[in-house]
Amino acid sequence: MIKRIVYGLGALALLLGLYGFYSRLFIGEREVNYGSYVTWGLWVAMYLFFAGISTGAYMLATLDHLFNVRLFKGAGKYALWGALVTMPAALITIAFDLGHMERIWKVYLSPNFGAPMAQLVWGYTLFLVVIVVSLVLTLRRPQTLSTKVVMSIGLFLAIFLSGGVGALLSVNASRASWHAAMLPAQFPIFSLTSGVALLMTLLGWFTPDDETRQQRVRLLGLAMIVLILVKAYYLWVDYSVALYSGVPDTARAVELVLFGQYAWAFWGLQVALGMIVPLIVLVQPRLARSGFWAGLMGVLVLVGFAVARSNIIFPALAIPELEGLTEAFHGPHLNIDYAPSLMELSVVSGVVGLATLAYLIGVDALPFLKKYEVTK
Amino acid sequence: MKQVLQNQQKASADVGRRNFLRALAGAAGAVTALQVLDALEAAPEQVAESLVPQTVTEADETADVLIRMQADLARALKKQPSERRWVMVIDLRKCVGCHACTIACVAENKLPPGVVYRPVIEEEIGEYPNVTRRFIPRPCMQCENPPCVPVCPVHATYTNAEGVVEVNYEQCIGCRACLTACPYGARTSDFGYTYAEGTPNADGLILGRDAADEYERAPNFEYGRPWPREAHGSPMGNARKCHFCLHRVKEGLLPECVTTCIGRATLFGDANDPDSVVAQLIHRPNVIRLKEELGTQPRVYYIV
Ligand code: SF4
Ligand code: SF4
Repeated sequence: MIKRIVYGLGALALLLGLYGFYSRLFIGEREVNYGSYVTWGLWVAMYLFFAGISTGAYMLATLDHLFNVRLFKGAGKYALWGALVTMPAALITIAFDLGHMERIWKVYLSPNFGAPMAQLVWGYTLFLVVIVVSLVLTLRRPQTLSTKVVMSIGLFLAIFLSGGVGALLSVNASRASWHAAMLPAQFPIFSLTSGVALLMTLLGWFTPDDETRQQRVRLLGLAMIVLILVKAYYLWVDYSVALYSGVPDTARAVELVLFGQYAWAFWGLQVALGMIVPLIVLVQPRLARSGFWAGLMGVLVLVGFAVARSNIIFPALAIPELEGLTEAFHGPHLNIDYAPSLMELSVVSGVVGLATLAYLIGVDALPFLKKYEVTK
Repeated sequence: MKQVLQNQQKASADVGRRNFLRALAGAAGAVTALQVLDALEAAPEQVAESLVPQTVTEADETADVLIRMQADLARALKKQPSERRWVMVIDLRKCVGCHACTIACVAENKLPPGVVYRPVIEEEIGEYPNVTRRFIPRPCMQCENPPCVPVCPVHATYTNAEGVVEVNYEQCIGCRACLTACPYGARTSDFGYTYAEGTPNADGLILGRDAADEYERAPNFEYGRPWPREAHGSPMGNARKCHFCLHRVKEGLLPECVTTCIGRATLFGDANDPDSVVAQLIHRPNVIRLKEELGTQPRVYYIV
């Protein structure tokens, strides 16, 4: 039943996305709201979001295929499949953000490896290959040394790439609220959290309701409680340091999130829906063992993460580099108040739809995913 | 008939204007103004010759600063590119906030809507009634340590031998990492607009959408080659920025904003030449650079 609803929602999301895909591919970037001052918008935030889920899901796959955790035997392939469908979702969203996406090959042929972006492009390509190889190996030779070696490389890449998106932001010394070594250090934890959330949903909703599932989602739920608390601590550290320092640019970005134009999304979606509700539900053993509730909490945490990614990106860019710059000259895409356009939202909806359908079709059509086996 | 009348009106207006200027010049006793006036009456090529010293490389200290800079430029161009170091000096005491440089730059580089290389930032100091204004033109700072360069994933942004940060339009993938990294907001992205959009194209209009479009689609000459605006090709989709009008400099012309500045507030030249106007100014104590604490080492200096 849940699967059918998710199929329907995925199809609807994709349908809503067709307009965005058409507009971006055939008209260009004219209907987007990001620009020359708020240089990166919803698509960059969603790229961070999807890439985080992918790398996080891979980290969890290692519970099965690298660390041999008995409880997660057989669950690794679902995590790997999740990683495989979310990484392209990340790459589509970021490709749409490029002014010249048809030139992406230049990053392969004449890369500047000193630039975090080039490192990431190469890293993701390698990572995609590693996910595919991991899947093949885990199916054919699950317990061999070669599988473990590949999974170890994958784990290292997953951590490096999740931290890399933090570096992409924190190298910008001109954006005070990003320019902290803490940022790349936090991102692998964020990725792990979104990986746990994804697996809660996948196992909770799309695997048979038996004792193993109850134990698995319960364990993931406990991990989630810890991770949400760690995330809350990071928020506190980031925001209190920024506000306490009194440096206006840092404080202003935080004030925009806490009390300004993005406050509703922060308090309503990121904190209440994405952190407090899951905490309340998951501390109750009965609910935490239920596949439905665990899956739903996974989705809520993911929604919270999507908003959190946005709240890292837009507010930091909404502070002009020079006072008075935004009033000095006017024209399209020279705004400082950013809210995603309908077309940007449509593209994201389409990508979510694509990833959702790809996951479900894989689970239903690919023989190795159809077969659900657990080790007692 | 109508045409003849217009010509006559124009001719008498010209004479009137000339007489008025003569009177003005006489009243002020400004001999040089009369010389300029006479020069203006001559043929265009003579004008150029009489206004610019015979050998521009030897303009004297008392010549108009534009002529001195022209001479500095001619001297610099004789050197190897790596031996010169272009800098810009902006005298904030002289800038009147007319935005002429902004518009001249838009015209020179045929910048489309939403793309700007040299906005003039207005700063209000104090509170009414004790209030004053300051105008800060903001070109690209051509930083010596430019944060926009290392973040470019494809080496599309780089510093050339003369110390100017260039964008290789055909290499740029439009990721806007450089826009994000620039601490001065000196880059804009070209989203592919034209001014003629929405202009009606009715029969009988001499200058309808098509004609206007044609002008806008004609190439600009940044980095010394033509860039027509067509079919989402570069520079559409690219990061764009001030490049000190290198295409003009190469031909011995000052950057457009320097030539246009009515207050002679913007100066340009080779800082490696101790005799140049700019080299003499940048060591003065009342010179600042924006956000120096970042260590970007801008090549744009402000006199305050
Ligand atoms: S001002 Fe900005 S765009 Fe210009 S060189 Fe410096 S960092 Fe690069
Ligand atoms: S927008 Fe172009 S010039 Fe700027 S960093 Fe990206 S590829 Fe390089």
